[in-house]
Amino acid sequence: MGQREVAIRVENLTIRYRSLKSYSIKKNLLHLNRNKKEYFEAVKHVSFEVEKGEILGIVGKNGSGKSTMLRALAHIFSPDEGSIDTFDNTVSLLSIGVGFQKELSGRENIVLSGMLLGFSEEQIREKMPRIIKFADLGRFIDMPVSTYSSGMYSKLAFSITAILETDIILIDEILSVGDRRFKKKSYKKMKSLISDKERTVVIVSHNNQSLRDLCTKVLWINEGEMVMIGETNEVLDKYEEYMDAEE
Amino acid sequence: MIQRFLNDVKKYYRYAVYSARAELKAEVAGSYLNWVWWILEPICLMLIYTFIFGVVFDAREEYFTAFIYIGLTVWTFFNQNLKNSVKIVKKNKSVVSKVYLPKFILVESKMFVNGFKMMISFAIVIFLMIIYRVPLTWNVLYAIPLFLCLVLVTFGMMCIVCHFGVFVEDLQNVITIALRLIFYMTGIMFSIDKRIGSKNPMLAAFLGKCNPMAFVITSLRNCLLYGETPARKILLIWMVIGVVLSMIGVRMIYKNENSYVKVI
Repeated sequence: MGQREVAIRVENLTIRYRSLKSYSIKKNLLHLNRNKKEYFEAVKHVSFEVEKGEILGIVGKNGSGKSTMLRALAHIFSPDEGSIDTFDNTVSLLSIGVGFQKELSGRENIVLSGMLLGFSEEQIREKMPRIIKFADLGRFIDMPVSTYSSGMYSKLAFSITAILETDIILIDEILSVGDRRFKKKSYKKMKSLISDKERTVVIVSHNNQSLRDLCTKVLWINEGEMVMIGETNEVLDKYEEYMDAEE
Repeated sequence: MIQRFLNDVKKYYRYAVYSARAELKAEVAGSYLNWVWWILEPICLMLIYTFIFGVVFDAREEYFTAFIYIGLTVWTFFNQNLKNSVKIVKKNKSVVSKVYLPKFILVESKMFVNGFKMMISFAIVIFLMIIYRVPLTWNVLYAIPLFLCLVLVTFGMMCIVCHFGVFVEDLQNVITIALRLIFYMTGIMFSIDKRIGSKNPMLAAFLGKCNPMAFVITSLRNCLLYGETPARKILLIWMVIGVVLSMIGVRMIYKNENSYVKVI
């Protein structure tokens, strides 16, 4: 074994949602001393490390905090407690892509998204033809994104993140994007991305079979708490047992 | 914090510019007259205001058209920026919920958009000054620090408004009313000194010094059209206030920006 290089370190991570959402001045004037703050803890005191090149799967039933965790890893949420360190690696959340500005053309959105992922304009221009080719949108690439069908939208989103190749890729649900041909193409692309030794991948999925195929390590969380982390088959066996028992 | 701010500005500067350019392009892409609107709109507004205030209310100033135009140019910049920053995070939901970016970059980008329009508008001011053959003095150079002051104050206020806009649902209404009030307290169409000052010199002096928009607009007119030196002390004070406001705003955004996504 070579030297271990940690790509993601999560320590004692806790993320809360405030139940009380946004408020209006009117409401506040009418209920002056309404000060009960309700918190909902989506992730509670989770710690783990992912080494460079590893593929970590995250399992858990619906609402157990998996997607929240991924978003935190992508720095969209900051931890309410604890810390997340990604050691200056570029991170992208693969499945949903970077947000598009609807009134701009696909081409412009590629540049904007790429910049947000931390690439320079030159790097993006260089990879632009490959992205456009992979997305396979024809003349729609120069039309405003608002005219896209939902399939085209996700095809473009996937192509950007897949071709730009960030150091850490976070995948929310194994993709089922676009038509049959694109699905096959994207699955193949994803497999080649994932199997790259330099790349660190975190996958959230309910498809245990593909997790067994792909992952080197699995983390199981339940109700925001870490149940166990370890060798893929071992954790998944326990997890399946638990899920079956609950019926 | 200042270090982080500078790093972020450097890192996302290209994004802000590109995004502003794309927004400008998208704005005119669907219309027949295209970018001509950027010139046509302020010209039409100016004609309307010149008619109403020049003819109906008989508010004659020297170089009246240029006088009004300077007011409009600065005011439109301030007004549009503040109005747009209330809901700016929500408007960019598709972006902010999927990738991290410092939220004041959205503000900055919006400012580039309005700044570009202001430049066109200001070019018309220069054009008017040439037509009027306004005698120039070295005092026109004060326009530079005055614009800088305008940008600083506006940026600070935008950041603060942007922060509260996320949490306070009805802030838009409050801002609209407040802006309307400032609009009349700024003297876009009339000279504060002559109109208010003749009856109520205290109020005029107060507005001229304590309303940044009134101060900037009046000083700009004085230095560009009438060859006068603006009050340097007040200019300096407002610049400092602008810096402080910006620091407060950026600090607020840094402290809270990650919870924005949970609310919108």
